[in-house]
Amino acid sequence: MKGLIFSVKRYSVHDGPGIRVTFFMKGCPLACKWCHNPEGISPLPENMERVSRIGAGEIRRQEKIGKYYQIEDVLRILEKESIFIGQSGGGITFSGGEPLFQPDFLLEALKACRAGGYHTAVDTSAYSPARDFRAIIPYTNLFLFDIKHLDDSRHFEFTGVSNAGIIENFDTLLQEGADIYARIPVIPGFNDSQDHLRRLKAFLNDRKSSSLKMICLLPYHRPGSSKYGKLGIPLEMNGLKPPSEKRMNELKEYFSDLGIRVKTGG
Amino acid sequence: MILTERVKRLRERSLKAVETLSAERARLLTCFYKSDEARELSAPVRRAKAFEFILRNKSLYIGEDELIVGERGPAPKKTPTYPEISLHSGEDLEILNSRKKISFRVSDETRNIYRKEIIPYWKGKSNRDRIMSLMSPEWHKAYEAGIFTEFQEQRAPGHTVLGYRMFRMGFLDIKNEIRASMADLDYYHDREAYRRLEELKAMDIACDALIMYACRYAAALSELAEKEKDAVRKGELEKMAAVCRKVPARAPGTVHEMLQHYWFIHLGVITELNPWDSFNPGRLDQHLWPVYKKQKEEGSLSDEELYELLGCFWIKFNNHPAPPKMGVTASESSTYTDFCLVNLGGVKPDGTDAVNEMTYILLDVIREMRLLQPGSMVQISRKNPDRFIHRALDIIRTGFGQPSCFNTEAIIQELLRQGKSIEDARNGGASGCVETGAFGTEAYWLTGYFNLPKILELTLNNGYDRRTEAQAGLKTGYAGDYKTFEELLAAFRTQVNYLADIKIRGNNIIQRTFAEWLPAPFLSVLIEDCIRKGTDYNDGGARYNTTYIQGVGLGSIADMLTSIRYNIYESGRISWKEMNEALNADFEGFEELQHDLIHDTPKYGNDDDYADRQAVSVFEIFYDAVCERPDARGGMHRINMLPTTCHVYFGSVTGATPDGRKAGRPLSEGISPAQGADREGPTAVIKSASKIDHLRTGGTLLNQKFIPRFFEGTDSYDCLTALIRSYFALDGHHVQFNVVSASTLRDAQKHPELYRGLIVRVAGYSDYFNDLGEDLQNEIIMRTEHGST
Repeated sequence: MKGLIFSVKRYSVHDGPGIRVTFFMKGCPLACKWCHNPEGISPLPENMERVSRIGAGEIRRQEKIGKYYQIEDVLRILEKESIFIGQSGGGITFSGGEPLFQPDFLLEALKACRAGGYHTAVDTSAYSPARDFRAIIPYTNLFLFDIKHLDDSRHFEFTGVSNAGIIENFDTLLQEGADIYARIPVIPGFNDSQDHLRRLKAFLNDRKSSSLKMICLLPYHRPGSSKYGKLGIPLEMNGLKPPSEKRMNELKEYFSDLGIRVKTGG
Repeated sequence: MILTERVKRLRERSLKAVETLSAERARLLTCFYKSDEARELSAPVRRAKAFEFILRNKSLYIGEDELIVGERGPAPKKTPTYPEISLHSGEDLEILNSRKKISFRVSDETRNIYRKEIIPYWKGKSNRDRIMSLMSPEWHKAYEAGIFTEFQEQRAPGHTVLGYRMFRMGFLDIKNEIRASMADLDYYHDREAYRRLEELKAMDIACDALIMYACRYAAALSELAEKEKDAVRKGELEKMAAVCRKVPARAPGTVHEMLQHYWFIHLGVITELNPWDSFNPGRLDQHLWPVYKKQKEEGSLSDEELYELLGCFWIKFNNHPAPPKMGVTASESSTYTDFCLVNLGGVKPDGTDAVNEMTYILLDVIREMRLLQPGSMVQISRKNPDRFIHRALDIIRTGFGQPSCFNTEAIIQELLRQGKSIEDARNGGASGCVETGAFGTEAYWLTGYFNLPKILELTLNNGYDRRTEAQAGLKTGYAGDYKTFEELLAAFRTQVNYLADIKIRGNNIIQRTFAEWLPAPFLSVLIEDCIRKGTDYNDGGARYNTTYIQGVGLGSIADMLTSIRYNIYESGRISWKEMNEALNADFEGFEELQHDLIHDTPKYGNDDDYADRQAVSVFEIFYDAVCERPDARGGMHRINMLPTTCHVYFGSVTGATPDGRKAGRPLSEGISPAQGADREGPTAVIKSASKIDHLRTGGTLLNQKFIPRFFEGTDSYDCLTALIRSYFALDGHHVQFNVVSASTLRDAQKHPELYRGLIVRVAGYSDYFNDLGEDLQNEIIMRTEHGST
């Protein structure tokens, strides 16, 4: 079985506990307007131009984005990193794109990693059929669960999909007692209004349990806008300013009285 | 800890003082050598009497606010010269005075003294002249070609560190040991007994000389105290006078006494000769801890007094730039830093965790003083707590490159493998940049850098160096003559063996020049077992004797060989003809090819065995050529892998290389990947770097550059700690972090005036960014910023 992966990041320290290897899986059913990994959207390999400066000139080459990995390839990379993973209490994180967009590969990879004794995390939008989602729960130590917007129409407008199934999946995790980091991307003008923040807080308060380990507030940051150009994807949110550090600290403060650990970044 | 006003003032004055060349020592030395007294003496006694003469006559300096006294020159940053080692010509003095970086002000008066007294007496008689006339034509050809450098050409052998014993003894105790050793001489069976007697006499004179020097300070301080109107300062001066009357004659009993005691010893070592890496208090937290603990229990030392004393002590090191260098040595070691390296942490002689309260106090001092010198490092044992590493990371993240991180278990295994006792190994550490040593018991000489990539260049050109137009290597053939990669590697081995032989032969002659002409009786009393053996430090008197040759450019040569293997011998996508044309043209007009060599060829530093195995091959070839070859002091040659700044000089003499590097650009430093070659992040670098066997070296240097973001948040410390511990579990010797953003550095390059205090980690030491040459600045900017995406 093979999976399409567009990047493998070693010494990944913001995608779950410890030192991790993050596999970025290619293909995503969402079309978030702020997406900073546009090369993860298409479920097919694609070409991107790479420009290298050599002396005074530039050399342009087509670079293939997306490579097929066998499960054994994934394990081989983990093996290379095992000393760091062991020392730090780290593991493997599947991110994307949307890892559940390749559900069979993801399930088999998670099973193999668990069998190898690795801590597993899945960084997901949770926009996935309930059956696929349920299947990975026994093999996933930690869900990095994106909550983008609680209002369905806003969600639809900015991501292209409804949030109904996502919230259902969230509640499934709570029922199953899986470990969750709720990850909230802070996108100025989209989900950071006072009203929406209040709703978010209430939503999380209702779901407070030993399952919900942490709230991570991820500041929007500008995508490499050149990435968009190279891929021929229009960038809609060009010019949006990332939230300031001060703003992020205010938000952290705002959520901190829930009694759940709140972190900005990662 | 907050710096007191006194320490702030002293610090400011030290930073502002201008590096100036002082002719005082040269003049006193010349005066002594010309005198009748210097005639008809054995070499050690002549040297001891010269030492005594200098200490009796050199000017004293007692600065306002100071609590610890004594300077190498007549005042802070005034730096003496050592004409018996190497003589500055009139032209050298001009260059020192006028060059943009690492300059020394030379007054007209100094120039006159040099012209009238120093140059006429020493011309043709310095040890440098002696060495140069003794070296073979092959040695000179290789030296000119930039294949190796010669450490002892301008400085005396040093690379040693004060051990535990000298912090617990006074020189009156040492004199008793010398007397006992004299009484034990066996004139019946030992034909060297008379030679030993002369050496022991010299040691005894040197001990008296240092005590006399301290007494001069005591008298001067008392005199000042009498005149002093301010009652507080008067009390301080009286106390300082009392301290100088006690130490170094008798063993120190307080923190103040111990710091002053060490400082007199330090001054003795760097006045007697100009040893490389000045001198070093070594395991300072271990030495200070018992006296501090006692004083704390008695209530005789407040925290404020403690920090003030330590601050005053720290400034002393910063007052002392390395003695002015010239020629090749100036370009290969382009820095004011004189490589003191305070060791913290590690294990005790019984093997238990050595981290104590003093360790944390000294970390505070390092953070607050924020000075280049002394350098500092943490010895990290698996027995040390994470808290210790976290405190070190707190300082590292501020971005001045200190402290660097060392693996205690690796150091101990390296030393044990070389035959040291377990206690001596545990009392050891690292000095200079990363050099392993048994403190207080070992004379470990570094003798020169060895340009591995240049030797591959010779191997591709039938041993001929085009830059100097000389047959520097053997005629093993041209690039196209090697039918297989293995043939090429075998020819490279032949060249390395040939050139290492030349270097070792030279070393063994040079070592004897120091033994015969320039014994160091003062340094000898400090290092065990010179007194017991009645033998000089420079003649194999130390308990352990090691001679190092430092390999440079491992990452670059690994990439060069990998490129040849991959592109020419295995994929065949490039022919030797095409490669040679591109190299000869320095890639002008071959940009497509250069692109492939840089971007589409495996590189060392990415945990890719295909590339990393070339690093291992070169390491083994270098190891086989050097290791365990006898030196001329009863010890052995060994290797370490560090460059200081020599990778820049070595790069400047090396043409374009098959890894896509343009002619003249710096080589990789230490065992770090070539600049920009590592694309897989710090864990991959660490995996690659640990594929060579660190435990068979005397130190390796790995530099990792991080942007500040990697130090943010509490979890980041745990990850960095795990990263360090993982490297050390893989037997890595040393890792240092440079925390700074490339944009900051670029800005500093454009506006140096705004970044006068910017300190960066270079390679095994830190330096002011402004003091670095532009090429070295660019290289630091180029080094991969891990986590920049």
